[in-house]
Amino acid sequence: MALIELENINKTYNNGQPLHVLKGIDLQIEKGEFVSIMGASGSGKSTLLNILGILDNYDTGTYHLDGKLIKDLSEKQAAQYRNQMIGFIFQSFNLIGFKTAVENVELPLYYQGVSRKERHTRAMEYLEKMGLTQWATHFPNEMSGGQRQRVAIARALITSPSIILADEPTGALDSKTSVEVMQLLKELNKNDGMTIIVVTHESGVANEADKIIHIKDGIIGNIEENRQHTAWSGPMVK
Amino acid sequence: MIGDIFHEIGSTVRNNKLRTALTGFAVSWGIFLLICLLGAGNGLMNAFMQGSDNFVQNSIQVWGGTTSIPANGYKEGRRIRLDQGDVDITLGREFADHVDMVAPVTSGLSTTLINGDKTVEGYVRGVTPELASIEKVNLKSGRFINPLDVEQTRKVVVISSKQEEELGGNMLGKWVTISGFSFKVIGVYHSDESNYQSDNYMPYSTAKGIFFPDSRVGTLSFTFHGIDNLQQSNDFEQEYSSRLKAHHSASPDDPNAIWIWNRFSQNIQMNSAMGILNIALWILGILTLVSGIVGVSNIMLISVKERTHEFGIRKAIGAKPGNILSLIITESICITAVFGYIGMVLGMVACEVMDKTIGQRAVDIGFTQIHMLENPTVGVGVAIEATILLIIAGTIAGLAPARKASKVRPIEALRAE
Repeated sequence: MALIELENINKTYNNGQPLHVLKGIDLQIEKGEFVSIMGASGSGKSTLLNILGILDNYDTGTYHLDGKLIKDLSEKQAAQYRNQMIGFIFQSFNLIGFKTAVENVELPLYYQGVSRKERHTRAMEYLEKMGLTQWATHFPNEMSGGQRQRVAIARALITSPSIILADEPTGALDSKTSVEVMQLLKELNKNDGMTIIVVTHESGVANEADKIIHIKDGIIGNIEENRQHTAWSGPMVK
Repeated sequence: MIGDIFHEIGSTVRNNKLRTALTGFAVSWGIFLLICLLGAGNGLMNAFMQGSDNFVQNSIQVWGGTTSIPANGYKEGRRIRLDQGDVDITLGREFADHVDMVAPVTSGLSTTLINGDKTVEGYVRGVTPELASIEKVNLKSGRFINPLDVEQTRKVVVISSKQEEELGGNMLGKWVTISGFSFKVIGVYHSDESNYQSDNYMPYSTAKGIFFPDSRVGTLSFTFHGIDNLQQSNDFEQEYSSRLKAHHSASPDDPNAIWIWNRFSQNIQMNSAMGILNIALWILGILTLVSGIVGVSNIMLISVKERTHEFGIRKAIGAKPGNILSLIITESICITAVFGYIGMVLGMVACEVMDKTIGQRAVDIGFTQIHMLENPTVGVGVAIEATILLIIAGTIAGLAPARKASKVRPIEALRAE
């Protein structure tokens, strides 16, 4: 069984007029893959990411993550799965402003009940990996966008999750930093075998992945094998 | 884990210093007023209780009045005087189930005590030794009247410490002249300002022989047992007074013929009155505190709204609803408790100040003086009760905001930027 198995996923939003966002998504992602999901805004890619991240429910179909059926979970159960199996990277970093870098990285372990000392040790390890050791006691607003996103990546990695879900990870970064962040994700995939799913609307960013899934109007268009990273020839970020 | 929660709270409070301080002030103020009210209430009660401390609780004092209803051929307006017959009835078989000790007292004569060229006002009370067990006579030196004094009609007297002072000090064993007779001072009792201070106790038989040659008894005091509640006490009192009225040929329905001071009933009534006062003070204090609680709750609601995004992040990375719930409630309890304690300490300081100022001021109420407030402070018990109250208050204040926060959906929250 693949790490992620989606079978005929349907999702309709009922805000006044019913909006059928996902119209039967079938998708398999294997362990160790580096995949990007591409689509225009309104294509349903964010909804798909929310379902993959157990942040949102779906109406029909099945979603298996690491062999577990993710359906009709209690909030508590969902929180536990998110904590243990998923690492999130957001466009706007989503760090907690009144916590230092190291405290932000520690937070997922806090909700696992890991002791303060061990949390700190492990958080410092991951910050070192990201080259941020001397920034550990700084608050997010004292750091650059690239540094903040690297703190967020350290926070995503600290629980050793099954997958990393990145939602427009370069959306708030300049081109140089964007390249660095994508390089970092590629290394994580190559060296540590981390499964990574990046949602983006930028072809250049999507091109960094080994496989590009095009989504349009709530269905999967085509899946492009991109081992040679030749899907896009322009600069990574416009 | 507890340490972590405090650390979390510390950072939120640091970020909202002014808001937290303003909210906290409302709570401090509420607890401050509660403690002050209870302290003043305690002072008032202590002042009341001090007066009744001078008597044994299960005792009755009886004296004669004036009839107000014609009965048995007598017109109304007849003066009733207790006599030996009343003493015998009290001691008799009829009331033997309840009555323990009987102390007849002859009194009603103001006189002058003379020691050489020094004189002081006095008030003769002929008593039996039992009286000392009914009215607590607090001896400073010497002894009280004993059975031999009564038996041998000795001319001995117990004076107050104030009288001793005015007669020249250290009177024990010396002689004083009362109405031309020499009496030996065998004891001196402490006269405090809240008690009669000119009573002179002498043997019942001596007083009768010298000052009250007729058969009358001034007052009659006795202790009783086997009566547990107000109803029984009132029934007993009713039965007893009817019997005495019959002895004096007065109508059993005459309310003025015989006066009875039932300290047992009075004490029960006083206790229940104080209980009500205490409850009233707590209610007032708690109502004041409620405004503080509403303030905390309001502030927490605003805080939760502002932190929606933060809770979304926390939930996305694995916070369970319970984690968020306990975070907010603990925060609420901490704010309430810390500021509540500040208020409590200030309230206790205010009570001490009250004790040192108004508490020391005595009020003259005619025949005696009382302190307006006696020890107007609250004990450890109240401090513990107030602490429990604060924790409950904090929980209630945090409940609604915490539920709101725990229901935040992570996707909504992450979008809310």
